[in-house]
Amino acid sequence: MTSYTAPVDKAAEMVAKRRKKLRKQLPNYFFILPHYLFFVVFLLYPIYRGIQISFYDWKIMLEDQKFIGLANYQALQADTVFRESFGNTIYFAILTVALNVIVALLVATALKQSFRGSNFLRVLFYAPSILSVSVLGIIGTRIWDTQLGIVNYFLVTLLGLPRVSWLGQPSLVIPALAVTTVWWTFGFPMLVFLAGLQGIPEALYEAAKIDGAGRLQTFRHITIPLIMPTMLFVVVTQFISHMQVFAQPFIITGGGPGNGSRTAVMYLYETAWKFFRFGYASSISVVLAVVMIIISAILFATMRQRAEY
Amino acid sequence: MTTLPQMNPFQNTTRMRSSRSKERRRTIYMWLILLPLVFVVIIPLVYMTAMAFTLESNQLNFPIEWIPQPTTLSNFTHIFADTTLPIVRWFINSLIVSIIGTVVIVFLSTLSGYAFARLEFPFKNFLFSLLIFSLMIPAAITLIPVFLLLRDFKMLNTYQAIWLPASASVLGIFLMRQHFYAIPQDIEDAARMDGAGRFRIYWQVCLPMVRSSMVAIAIFSFLLLWNDLFWPLIVLSEREILTLPVGLLVIQQGSYIQRGLAFAAAFIASVPALIFYAIFQRKIIAGITMTGMAGQ
Repeated sequence: MTSYTAPVDKAAEMVAKRRKKLRKQLPNYFFILPHYLFFVVFLLYPIYRGIQISFYDWKIMLEDQKFIGLANYQALQADTVFRESFGNTIYFAILTVALNVIVALLVATALKQSFRGSNFLRVLFYAPSILSVSVLGIIGTRIWDTQLGIVNYFLVTLLGLPRVSWLGQPSLVIPALAVTTVWWTFGFPMLVFLAGLQGIPEALYEAAKIDGAGRLQTFRHITIPLIMPTMLFVVVTQFISHMQVFAQPFIITGGGPGNGSRTAVMYLYETAWKFFRFGYASSISVVLAVVMIIISAILFATMRQRAEY
Repeated sequence: MTTLPQMNPFQNTTRMRSSRSKERRRTIYMWLILLPLVFVVIIPLVYMTAMAFTLESNQLNFPIEWIPQPTTLSNFTHIFADTTLPIVRWFINSLIVSIIGTVVIVFLSTLSGYAFARLEFPFKNFLFSLLIFSLMIPAAITLIPVFLLLRDFKMLNTYQAIWLPASASVLGIFLMRQHFYAIPQDIEDAARMDGAGRFRIYWQVCLPMVRSSMVAIAIFSFLLLWNDLFWPLIVLSEREILTLPVGLLVIQQGSYIQRGLAFAAAFIASVPALIFYAIFQRKIIAGITMTGMAGQ
């Protein structure tokens, strides 16, 4: 009899122990509860809700929304503005990220050397990032203006070249917006690269010097491979943020000429808050999200392979 | 490790002199390389300043007058006199939502970061992986649902419309979690021996040790909130409640085009930010770098 009850006692004891542990751990939830509340209401649930709305012909004034299945997505396939704005967005994002990475990495390599004023330059180069995008828009409008613009001023007065209609030509408008964006944002990747470069042991450079490697060789064979993890991070995060570009074309070009600089988020904004077609706008956001996740995954996979040498 | 001979400056003065002239040469060399970029960065800012002090009637002059003739304050007096453009109010609105949002984000990030780093509770890993999952989903997908939610809460055109959704952000939690991990267990054990409860350990023992990352998150969040245009544009429409970036847009895209006014407004919006940046540049740069590196 006693040998029969012993395991039960033990089991009961374990249950009691676990209950006691749980009771001790439960107050720990108070630490994450405040944030999780906001997180569920304003992030997690909206992700689900955004996908759900995309299956409805959602109009803001209606009480009962009409379920239409995949009709929004079918309409997207035939929507040329959508296709154009998506093409613009991808072009803009690739160009901006590429330019940003090149400029930021070169500047960071230069600023890694300590020389008189290197700290000042670091502060100066990050300064444009402090500005609001609205300020960037106001300045940007006049950087590229055909008659009065800063770029054309230097073309005409310094180089004696004819004026260029930067924002009036479909082939130039996206590069112009990309360059404006690089001016505004290259400071952040520069700082991240700088931190990454400072993490590379000085001994490696010393060794390369002793082996007679030139500056370019050192950059190619030491800096580039060792900066790859940082590069991966910069490229993926920059890509995600620039794929959602809105304000620069919205303020500087209004999406023109034609739809030449209309971007995906801009089209989403207009569909939802100008024409109040929330269902259709949601389907745009879902497609944008899927495209971004796929491209980030590809970037991640290919660059991680490179990073493992 | 090997000691490098030039590490000891008393040993070899000629070497020191040569390294000093080498440094001077490097300084000149680097400045020459970077000077074009310095100009590219500065010129648009100089242009904005010049235009802010240029008469409205001279706004279309070409070639560009880098030093306005005459220099005028009329654009500024116009803005401050125009009651339909309450730029001071917008400035204060921006300040209020940015400060509230920043305080809430920093506080919640430390709480959650602490729990995920140092406390045990059921489903901890699952709850944390949900946070990671949300990082991979682009914000564009949540715009419409959050807008509808705020509309249902009757919160459009309020300060909450800005800072409530911002409080859900998860980036700060990752940074805090990393830094709470680094605190030695002994310190916490000692505090527990002294009879401190878990909230006191968090508040009085651990929090002071991660002050630098709190500052980093604060700077990062404040800049994001202060500069954001897109979200305020969606949820704010009444003139009195606008934030500065949206207000600038109103001025720039107003029915009557006044170029000087737009530049003066841009100047008003930028100068305090740039002065603040210049004063706290060391902290800000360190904070941005730390937050930037945390994502890795």
